[in-house]
Amino acid sequence: MVITLVLIAGIAGAGMYVMKLRSDNAILKANQHKLETAITEQNKVLEQQKQDFTAILESNKKLNVLINTFKKDLQDLDKRFTKKNRDIGKLAIDRTKAIERIINKAGVNAARCIELASGAEHTPEELKATLKSEINPECPALANPNYVPYQ
Amino acid sequence: MYHINKIFALAIIILLTGCSIGGEKKIKIFSVEKPREKLDYPMPTALQLEELKWIIITSENAQEVFAKLEAAGIDPVLFGVTDKDYQVLSRNFAQIRQKLQETNNLLEEYKKYYEPEEKK
Repeated sequence: MVITLVLIAGIAGAGMYVMKLRSDNAILKANQHKLETAITEQNKVLEQQKQDFTAILESNKKLNVLINTFKKDLQDLDKRFTKKNRDIGKLAIDRTKAIERIINKAGVNAARCIELASGAEHTPEELKATLKSEINPECPALANPNYVPYQ
Repeated sequence: MYHINKIFALAIIILLTGCSIGGEKKIKIFSVEKPREKLDYPMPTALQLEELKWIIITSENAQEVFAKLEAAGIDPVLFGVTDKDYQVLSRNFAQIRQKLQETNNLLEEYKKYYEPEEKK
């Protein structure tokens, strides 16, 4: 009688143990799945961060190039007024008509630069310009993207 | 009488437990990530500037210039700047243009970063 009871208890215990093992196994599998999902998501976030950093660096680089171009444009403008001790006032007295023509042309070019800076589309001529005689000297980097300044 | 009591007891049991058959439904709360609406402003319209004419006036050509203005039916008056101020004006305009370009560029970069075009 006692042996039978012990046997039944043993079998029941073993059964319960197996059920517990199964349950543990299911929990572990679920955990494993969650961890794998988390790793995939983390990888996605890292990849996105990497792309963001690259985009920020690229954008900063573009902005720095632009600011350097601005400095150069202003220097070039100053040079045009003062090159070889040039005095625009004296020149205007000596060659009034010629200087008037030059500053009117420069005014038109400068106005075009403002239009382009505000987002106007380039004309085909502006895009094609590769020679110094074809460019807008007020803002060549903006107006003529295909022009490479001579060294 | 015994049967009536049994039926009555059974009816009470059903009455008291009836609502719990099937159990209370659990409320499920789930969150759906909804991206913020895009602002999607169009880029500002480009400027179209009007042309203006510069007239150089010196002590020598002043009379001739005013006479030409009168002949053309334009009031014989000019708003002048000196050669030095003309250079300042040129620099100022160049700086305004650069600021405009910088601001437009920043706007484009922000738009590109925060509102990238969706891949089709």
